[in-house]
Amino acid sequence: MSTLSWSHGLRVSLVLALLGVAAFPIYWMLVTSLTSSPDLFAAKPHLLPDLAQWPVYGHAFSTTAVAIWLKNSAIVAFGTAALSIALAIFPAYVLSRYRLPAVAVLGVALFVTQMLPEAMLVVPLYAIFGELGLLNSLGGLILANTAFTVPVITLILKGAVDGVPIDVEEAACIDGCSRLGIVLTVVLPLVAPSLAAAAVIAFFHGWNEYVFAQTLISDQGLQTASVGLAGFVGELSTPMHTVMAIGLMYTLPAVIFYLFVQRYVVSGMTAGSVKG
Amino acid sequence: MPANSHTARRSLAPPRVKRDWTPYWFAAPVAIYLLLFQGYPLAQELYLSFTSTSLLSPDQHAYVGLQNYIDLVTQDEFRQVLLITAVYTVVCVVLAIGLGLGAALLLDAPFRGRGLARALVTIPWAAPPVAVALIFIWIYNGQYGVFNHLLAACGWTGGMESWLDGPRLALPAVLLTTVWQIFPFASVVILAALQGVSSELREAAVIDGADRLSVFRAVVWPTIQPSVALLSLFLTIWSLRRFDLIWLMTQGGPIGSTNTLVIELYRRAFVYRDLGQGAAVGMVGLSIALVVTVFYFRYNQRTERAKGQR
Repeated sequence: MSTLSWSHGLRVSLVLALLGVAAFPIYWMLVTSLTSSPDLFAAKPHLLPDLAQWPVYGHAFSTTAVAIWLKNSAIVAFGTAALSIALAIFPAYVLSRYRLPAVAVLGVALFVTQMLPEAMLVVPLYAIFGELGLLNSLGGLILANTAFTVPVITLILKGAVDGVPIDVEEAACIDGCSRLGIVLTVVLPLVAPSLAAAAVIAFFHGWNEYVFAQTLISDQGLQTASVGLAGFVGELSTPMHTVMAIGLMYTLPAVIFYLFVQRYVVSGMTAGSVKG
Repeated sequence: MPANSHTARRSLAPPRVKRDWTPYWFAAPVAIYLLLFQGYPLAQELYLSFTSTSLLSPDQHAYVGLQNYIDLVTQDEFRQVLLITAVYTVVCVVLAIGLGLGAALLLDAPFRGRGLARALVTIPWAAPPVAVALIFIWIYNGQYGVFNHLLAACGWTGGMESWLDGPRLALPAVLLTTVWQIFPFASVVILAALQGVSSELREAAVIDGADRLSVFRAVVWPTIQPSVALLSLFLTIWSLRRFDLIWLMTQGGPIGSTNTLVIELYRRAFVYRDLGQGAAVGMVGLSIALVVTVFYFRYNQRTERAKGQR
């Protein structure tokens, strides 16, 4: 009995250490944002937030464009999620159900896109977007982001469709039906959890993305939060607690949203992704 | 990893008489989309890598053949870039998987609050890289950063270091940040794979008197090995192309000490305004990723075949 409780105690302390490591940097953002300027540069850092400092958040809203940044990021994130899902459903079905040379080529092509850095494609994309008149528009940014999310999402959804027995489709097909109808009315509801997971992954990609938002958008009013926040790196005139307040306002919604949905994301993702 | 993928794979291939165009027009939108936004830019980059092109006049290319590549091969700095990329990638993958495996094993056993712990451990993965870079720059600050104080509290006597300002410590500091951000993904994937471990086999091994390590080696590892292998492939590819975190923390410096391939490609294109050289660096990076992938699949095939023969 004593060895059991000893190993249990060890396990609990290891878990707590793990969670401490995972959460500390976010906690430190909070503490830094709620620390007065003189205390920020004290010889010993203050480990607890000073709640009297909360007006710094209102100050951040009035002195920077953080509200607009967050709104733009939200538009890009939702747009990327919606477009990615709309585009990925049908190729995912094809990848799962058909064995054709062209389908194999598509599968390989989707995988190869995982190796292309945004930083590399941004040069030619900038030119293409210029030609198409897509520079300086959130819609254009959504299009660029979706090109990077669609491959992953297609592969995840392919795994989910793999798990739908073909008999279900055949049963639905007895009194005649189109393939399109089958996908929309039979397959889609059955893969709904993976669909939700895929949407969340695309949402996060859009929310976090930096290189395209930095390069394809020059209009200040269309800047996303990632670009706005990155502008504070190496810039010294904005007080550190204001910067961290903005950083937290950008980070916390994402983290809290993720904590709520992570269970579904994990099950939806592992329904297919890891082992094709 | 659907258990019944076997049945689902039963092909819906059309009868030979009439050609079924459904798969083609189902896949056409994505194919066109990716050709336009990935394929065409990639082809352009490939072409650019054989030209001398300035960022200031991107429409004027002078064809130079392999000159950009020859330049890269003959430069000592580029060999350093390759070395740093290799170190960065290998350490990222090894530490992320090691830590991820440890966390997954820890969170696999039942205890009170396990669901909450599993959720909280994914926090780093959910945090935006730009925000992560910003907070870690502050944490690593030599004078006011909390990192030195935490180390001192743990008994470290190295004194106050400016982690990102010197070539000796910048790479370890960037690596630590990266591993912090990506290990939850590894742990989530491994945790999912652990659910496939047969509890009967595990119990049988315990009854036979196997200690924890032998149980892990004989029962747990063979089950999760395919997932871990594929996870390593993805982490490798992603580490080869990671940009935001490194760029915002160090811009590849100090003195090139964190200059990975992607950072180098960005510097050549946007700082030195040499699009041709930048594209050549990008192609080298892509080739490395492709080679790693091919090796993975060949290794995978061989192990599958070996399993089949057994």
